[in-house]
Amino acid sequence: MTSGMIALAIGVMMGLCVFGTAIGQGMVASKTMDAMARQPEMAGKLQTAMILAMALQEALTIYGLLIAFMLVGRI
Amino acid sequence: MEEASALFTIGPVEVSSVVVTSWIIIALLALLCWLATRNMKDVPGPLQCAAEMAVEGMENFIAGTLGKEKARKYFPIFGTFFVFIIVSNYSGLLPGAGQIAGFAVPTACLSVTAALAVIAFCTTHTLGVRERGLGHYLKSFLKPFALMLPLTLIEQLIRPLSLALRLFGNLYGEETVTHELYNIFPILLPLVMNVLSLLFCMIQAMVFTLLLSIYVAEATETEE
Repeated sequence: MTSGMIALAIGVMMGLCVFGTAIGQGMVASKTMDAMARQPEMAGKLQTAMILAMALQEALTIYGLLIAFMLVGRI
Repeated sequence: MEEASALFTIGPVEVSSVVVTSWIIIALLALLCWLATRNMKDVPGPLQCAAEMAVEGMENFIAGTLGKEKARKYFPIFGTFFVFIIVSNYSGLLPGAGQIAGFAVPTACLSVTAALAVIAFCTTHTLGVRERGLGHYLKSFLKPFALMLPLTLIEQLIRPLSLALRLFGNLYGEETVTHELYNIFPILLPLVMNVLSLLFCMIQAMVFTLLLSIYVAEATETEE
């Protein structure tokens, strides 16, 4: 029973965890593309900034992933 | 997480495969640097040429956040971090990583990434104090207004934590996913993840160096 609940929790948690980051990264990418199309000469700088912003968001999902691995160990 | 099992012990110190792999990587890098700079010429040979290109590329990359002058001054720190992280990340793509005794990806172990983050933390504050003087540096924590002090302190303490966890989580996640894919279907399926790893390993090393350079830029900026 408990291990079933843990398995369910992992699924729900990873789903929610990825959901927010996916929206956030999509927004970052789309706005960067807009900016690059408007000012192609800024493309290099924008790309660095985009990767940085994405990495910061990704960290949040990674925290979830770590918890998921910990929970998988408990099943 | 994964229990780092000891390969052998030197006195009271247990040596695990992660440590052995980091030593090998450090030795290889040192050897490569020695070979590349052994007899430097005005018209460089292939190895020196590659090394020069790498150094110049990294310096320009850091100069984007830190400015030309400081980038040159502090380049050894960032260069070391970047090269060590990227080589250890890519070592996971070699066959047998994590399977053979004495060969495990260093950055997929929390102790290694935590050590890197602690070094980064100390570096940031040491450079801040050295560049601005202790009094001025401490005063900069009260900068917008003094009430923000607890928040600023928490932010400073969270930084090494997030640096360590980001690198560890990415690499450990990649390793685990590759392993799971291998368990599902051993032929060609793990290759999908390996191709993605080629990209992610590079980006993670870049992100670590970039964040560190931003922290250093923030700590060492001198008011006019």
